Amino acid sequence: MKGFVFTEFLEMVDDKFSPDLTERIVDQADVPSGCAYTAVGTYDHMELVQLVVGLSKETGTAAPDLVKAFGAHLLSRFVVLYPEFFDGHADPFTFLESVENYIHIEVKKLYPDATLPSVACERPSPDKLVVLYESERCLADAAHGLIEGCLKHFGAEDQVTLTREDLSSGKSSRVRFELTR
Amino acid sequence: MEAELLQKRLAREKAARKQAEDLLEAKSRELYLANQEISATAQELSRQSKQLNAVLDRTMAAIMLVDDNDRIEKVNRAGSVAFGHDIDVMLGQSVFGLFEREQREALAKIQQDCNPDQDFKTIEAIHETVGLRRDRSTFPVELAIAALDLDDRRYTVWICRDLTRRKEAEAERARLEQELRQSQKLESLGTLASGIAHEINTPVQYVSDNAHYLKGAFDDLFAVLDAYGRLAEACVQAGGFDQQVAAVRDSEQDADIEFLKGDIPNSVDQALDGIQRISKIVTAIKEFSHPGTVEKTAADINKAIETTLTVAHNEWKHVCEVKTDFDPALPEVPCLLGDFNQVLLNLIINATHAIASKEEEGLGLITVRTRRAGDAAEITVADNGCGIAEEYRRQIFDPFFTTKGVGKGTGQGLSIAYSIITQKHGGSISFTSKVGEGTTFKILLPIDRDAGMKVAV
Repeated sequence: MKGFVFTEFLEMVDDKFSPDLTERIVDQADVPSGCAYTAVGTYDHMELVQLVVGLSKETGTAAPDLVKAFGAHLLSRFVVLYPEFFDGHADPFTFLESVENYIHIEVKKLYPDATLPSVACERPSPDKLVVLYESERCLADAAHGLIEGCLKHFGAEDQVTLTREDLSSGKSSRVRFELTR
Repeated sequence: MEAELLQKRLAREKAARKQAEDLLEAKSRELYLANQEISATAQELSRQSKQLNAVLDRTMAAIMLVDDNDRIEKVNRAGSVAFGHDIDVMLGQSVFGLFEREQREALAKIQQDCNPDQDFKTIEAIHETVGLRRDRSTFPVELAIAALDLDDRRYTVWICRDLTRRKEAEAERARLEQELRQSQKLESLGTLASGIAHEINTPVQYVSDNAHYLKGAFDDLFAVLDAYGRLAEACVQAGGFDQQVAAVRDSEQDADIEFLKGDIPNSVDQALDGIQRISKIVTAIKEFSHPGTVEKTAADINKAIETTLTVAHNEWKHVCEVKTDFDPALPEVPCLLGDFNQVLLNLIINATHAIASKEEEGLGLITVRTRRAGDAAEITVADNGCGIAEEYRRQIFDPFFTTKGVGKGTGQGLSIAYSIITQKHGGSISFTSKVGEGTTFKILLPIDRDAGMKVAV
């Protein structure tokens, strides 16, 4: 997993909780990298899982909620760091449709070794979008947070209903999100 | 923040920076290697491109890459040369502009029928059409069009070959074949004429002998008749034999002996003269139609001209007089006599036609003259015919060029004459002409005996 995710996670903990809490979960995690992350590096995604577990323990908040909140935080950071990905999109549906076919392709250009999830989109009707998330990393909650962050960015959180259906089997994660206007 | 916390963060940041630096270094190296690889690939591509362009530019055929709007996207040097345009001018222009207007519809159909999925079948795909140069001149073109799809666009490759030289070679071959056929026909006629002349010679010989015999016999016979006359006169003087003498006188009167005495020798002389002329013509035909040799032999040019004039007598006798002015000291000239005779015959016939076409009353005049001119024998054939018009003078030695009416000339006479004199004899043939006054052809044949005798044709 790209270091950017780790640095953003630690910054989110700094911001939402406190630097002291960040240091505590870093100490508790005792991960191979020592949490010395650089945004352009690549690290084992299990280190993130350990950090989330540590944060959950410290805050008493369920890990899935923390991951979902992190997803929403990540989207707000993407808006600041990569505004070109959002330009030209007037609604969340077209943006989400561009993730697989445009954004992931651009990411691969910079990081050919990046392992990205599959985010297949389907439009059964003009007012409905189905997003099928598939990944071996079981970060469907992060995807959920990202979609919610997206709705918020486009000011559509009140107009769009988001439902989630877990279709996972085995170790990998397969989740169907349905967005209805 | 507490100092301890800050120290922890600093340590992590240092470690992260080190990682980032290592990563940067590794990526830089990867980038360098990738750049090296790209440079090598670019060089290889450039080399291949140059190689391909060199091949394209040195190929004899014009090759053009045409886009789906019929615009020329690429053209090789042969294309520029064939159509007479600079390459820069051709690029972006419609390919159909390079072909004659009448051909364009057919070419568009051929282009439309091209299928990139089909194999390029060379023979079936070749079409003959007409190219159009920048100066609007046209030329025959062999064209093949093949389609291909590149970057989601349909292109066609047009391969054109200028057929001008091939067509010229084909025309030259046809001309030579016709010349050969004509030559073979003439040779057959020559052989036939030679055989006939030989057959005529024998009866001519004994008719001549008998005429000579008759001439002598009549002289003797008339002497006897004179003696009989004197006898009859003596009988009259002496008296007696009146009836017999009267019968003799009656017979003499009936036979018109006095007339016969004068006329028979004349008739015999005329017959002998006629036989002599037959003999001369037969000899001329034999000499003229003598089978051609492949090696030159020393020939008496004056005699050869006499022979040709005799053979052609029927051609000119009603049209003109022929005067000869021969150099008696002219040495023998190495010559293919049969060919030379043919040249002379062609010139005499042309001169006769030129005089006849002038349509003047009275006979015209052809003057044939020989002289020595340095190391060459000079033969001139001058006529006072119609002359050669200025616009025809450049073409008269061209094959098949003729100003004569249908059936009168094949346009090969002077062409063959030119070929015989210049190529077979190393000589020259030229002319001067004045419209309405006449034309003079001048032939120069080298006298260099050794060189001439060695040349094989």
